[in-house]
Amino acid sequence: MAKFDYVLAKTLEDAVHLLNEPNIRSIPLAGGTDIYVAIRVNPIWFDRLVDIRRIPELSQITQEGDVVSLGAAVTFSHAIANPILQKVAPFLVEACSTIGGPAVRNCGTFGGNVSNAAACADSLPALVCLEAVAHLRSPKGKRQLKVEDLVTGPHETKIESGELLTHFTFKVPPEKARSCFIKIGRREAQSISRLSIAVIGAVDSTGMVDYIRVCPGAAVATPVRFPHVEAVLLGKKPDEEIITAAAEQLVVDMIVSTGRRWSTEYKEITLKAIAERSLTKIFLEDGQHVN
Amino acid sequence: MLINFNLNHKPVSVDAPADITLLALLRDRFKLTGTKEACEVGECGACSVLLDGELVNSCLVAAPSVMGRNVVTIEGIHAEDGGPNDLQRNFIEKGAVQCGFCIPGMVLAGEALLSIKSDPSRLEIREALAGNLCRCTGYMQIVDAIETTAKARAEKHHPEKRED
Ligand code: FES
Ligand code: FES
Repeated sequence: MAKFDYVLAKTLEDAVHLLNEPNIRSIPLAGGTDIYVAIRVNPIWFDRLVDIRRIPELSQITQEGDVVSLGAAVTFSHAIANPILQKVAPFLVEACSTIGGPAVRNCGTFGGNVSNAAACADSLPALVCLEAVAHLRSPKGKRQLKVEDLVTGPHETKIESGELLTHFTFKVPPEKARSCFIKIGRREAQSISRLSIAVIGAVDSTGMVDYIRVCPGAAVATPVRFPHVEAVLLGKKPDEEIITAAAEQLVVDMIVSTGRRWSTEYKEITLKAIAERSLTKIFLEDGQHVN
Repeated sequence: MLINFNLNHKPVSVDAPADITLLALLRDRFKLTGTKEACEVGECGACSVLLDGELVNSCLVAAPSVMGRNVVTIEGIHAEDGGPNDLQRNFIEKGAVQCGFCIPGMVLAGEALLSIKSDPSRLEIREALAGNLCRCTGYMQIVDAIETTAKARAEKHHPEKRED
């Protein structure tokens, strides 16, 4: 007998309804790249997969005014090829292109990456820098949460059972902003992040930093911005010295957050290096332009 | 449950349990054992197939989710006479095949790349193979085979593609 059932949701309403049918534990299925791995190592925790991949709205990337909307079932391949994201969030595109190999990118989705919330989920740091908001739907209605607040720990989120993550929205970053994503893995391709960082920043007409968002991945329990690090840079001329000071602040804040552990010795050196490299890239070299 | 889809360009209909993967469906129900089963967690690419023309790891695809879609396995890639196509011949000529276990996935990854990019660089070829592991060849000959095929197809006015 089959260990679980499968049903295809045709519409958003259909999906929310199916996910909330009583007496049958249902979970959404999008790309399957995490679920089919998880059920090989964990006991099966659901009775039914509700396939949401063919709901048209969930696979859309749109821009209205200065708000970009990104469907939860958008695949990484789709994102990489999308002109809107290439233009307004090149570091998010960069992050997507480091995920898995082509086959995984053809299936894996943003909704899955965020709701699975692995510490190493590569789309998260850039989404946090963009201050992306996750939109959730349930029979009780809709609610919104910042991605930064949605993820509460490794593989833990505030998404309730029966709730469907439908899409993300974020505001187009300021013009002139430059962004960068760097990932350290065990090898160049198809690697799981050991550590990563997303940064986006801009300077005003006098050359002082007036916009900066910094979010490392896999450094602390959840992907969050580091306000002290941003404060080091804000209002300053981003020269080598300030960039080093910001990178050192990031390491200090990471250790405050995690305490010293077996991996700290590695992480403090590596995180400082990628922080310096990414900030140098956006402020002193040719970081990827937004717009 | 009943699953209807196109398999190697022919409509098929199969009754299968809801909880199996596309990999299991292909190997166990259709006896298409060219699609290899190895890691089963999306790491090795031995199970690669084309789903609506895109490369996917069939070990991570829910069998019922292919309803109404097009699946092409290595058995669906061949020249018109049923023999190896140009890419497959180049794999042989360039010495890209040793034990052969990874090769169905490699050929499909190559075809997936060539379907979207007719003149890939060696780096792009390597990136396209990033999800396909080979324990034998060291990859260079595989890259050579794909590169040679791309060039030959570009030169020929009517590229000998997989039959569609
Ligand atoms: S068997 Fe599917 S990727 Fe290894
Ligand atoms: S030829 Fe043996 S694994 Fe590639």
